[in-house]
Amino acid sequence: MSAAATAGTYSPASAAGEKRRERKEELRRHLAEDADWPRADGRSFHDCRPAFMQTGPTTAASGSAYAEFGKTKVIVSVFGPRESKKAMLYSDTGRLNCNVSYTTFATPIRGQGTDNKEYSAMLHKALEGAVMLHTFPKTTVDVFALVLESGGSDLPIIISCASLALADAGIMMYDLVTSVSVSCFGKNIIIDPTSDEEAWQDGSLMVAYMPARKEITQLTLTGEWSDGKITNAVELCMDACSKLCDILRERLKDASSLAE
Amino acid sequence: MAAEAQATAAGGLAGEMEVEAYRRLFPLAFLERHLRESVRPDARRPAEARPTTVALAAVSSAHGSALVRLGDTAMLASIKLEVMSPSGEAPDEGSIAVEFHMPPICSPLVRPGRPAEVAPVISKNLEDILMSSGMLNLKELCLISGKASWLAYLDVYCLNADGSLFDAALISAVAAFTHLEIPLVSVGDDGRVFTVGGNEGKAKYELVNREKRKLTITNVPFSLTCALHKDNVLADPTAEEESIIETSVTIVLDSSDQIVSIQKPGGAVTSMTTIKECISLAKDRRRKLREILMDNVEAMEVDQTD
Repeated sequence: MSAAATAGTYSPASAAGEKRRERKEELRRHLAEDADWPRADGRSFHDCRPAFMQTGPTTAASGSAYAEFGKTKVIVSVFGPRESKKAMLYSDTGRLNCNVSYTTFATPIRGQGTDNKEYSAMLHKALEGAVMLHTFPKTTVDVFALVLESGGSDLPIIISCASLALADAGIMMYDLVTSVSVSCFGKNIIIDPTSDEEAWQDGSLMVAYMPARKEITQLTLTGEWSDGKITNAVELCMDACSKLCDILRERLKDASSLAE
Repeated sequence: MAAEAQATAAGGLAGEMEVEAYRRLFPLAFLERHLRESVRPDARRPAEARPTTVALAAVSSAHGSALVRLGDTAMLASIKLEVMSPSGEAPDEGSIAVEFHMPPICSPLVRPGRPAEVAPVISKNLEDILMSSGMLNLKELCLISGKASWLAYLDVYCLNADGSLFDAALISAVAAFTHLEIPLVSVGDDGRVFTVGGNEGKAKYELVNREKRKLTITNVPFSLTCALHKDNVLADPTAEEESIIETSVTIVLDSSDQIVSIQKPGGAVTSMTTIKECISLAKDRRRKLREILMDNVEAMEVDQTD
């Protein structure tokens, strides 16, 4: 960074008005209790954003994929199987190494979203159940994800995109992994939330799922949920994951057709 | 007849594998055999650059952005503006902070954590050229002299590294500044400067910069990198060619075909004749790039009119 050392940046100090607080409280009540309200982008509660996915944007990588869900844009590259950089003992199974990072301009405020170790660990947990590690002993498969723009539901999109990139790289897997998340507003459940919706949610639930085998590789839950609602949310996610997996398979077919 | 066809098919496949093996094992000899025929491994002529595309407004949350593809090399440039206090030495100027990023997705040579060695070199080169070419007038980034001015964060991300990274980075930076739109700002009661939302009618404070929303772009610098190998000059080398050939020179020219910068980091000794040939190639390249950029700017203006 070459900004002048003496230069300081500041944002405007916003006066917290009583009127604003009341309006905020009223909006929260409306979100939680009303049974039907239109989402900002016109979707109904159980509609996902249109998904655009594509393989092969990074030719330097063994496999890569690009995903765009509304405003969220993610690019994932897969390298390997290749020799591990770290000196390690021999192992019968390979290693899966995941790293998630954000661009500095991914969020409305520059430089946010730089602490992504948790996302890297969650991506690793979601994928390692699906990758056949025994097929590349002693070597490492590196999965690098870069979030170009963060528009909500980032991690599920990263997981789906990474799964597509692994398939593009020819890594053997039991099944594709797709992931979808939902947000909870009082008694309402909405799927594939945007950033604005995530900012207001009471709780969230994310499912990473292998549709063909009907197995869940990861389930994370935050906030307050009742038992019945959890079941409904998981089923909603699994259904959406199956539909998303159809899209991924279509992309892989298209890619292999082009290769011939 | 069928046996002959099968034999031909098998021979073809074996031939392809042999060519690929030769390419991997003897890359220099492979390249030289192509150059003897005045052709390159990807079927280009030595003086030919790869097809280039520019897409403006690639990042919706940025004030200016551009996605540039130079062959397989992909660069994403983004500019964000923040209000800051100008320095005492230049109270009526804004400033620009340039950062070039090579995330691990772009190349097998880059690892997370440790930045690539070439990234700060390109950052510095980009900053030097943007400043010294006179493309930007920093006084235009001033809002209130001595009190408030814009700090422009230019972030260039390499999405795919396939050679000529600096050329692609410069095109994307120039395109992003071309696309840059400065937000409206007002001065609050306490004298603080803040940005106004899209709705101009709601602003109850006086707008500081109602008229000036676009930067005046005058001298636009464009660059061309050439790889030099014996008597051959290869314009716009790929990553493979860059890894084989140790000598390269980068020429940067402005709108008047004047030289902004020549960089030749080491390598073999080179004659002035070769350098002049590179400059000549860079002039042709600059004109083509300017056409590409102008086409995109005009297309964007048409889009905004609709």
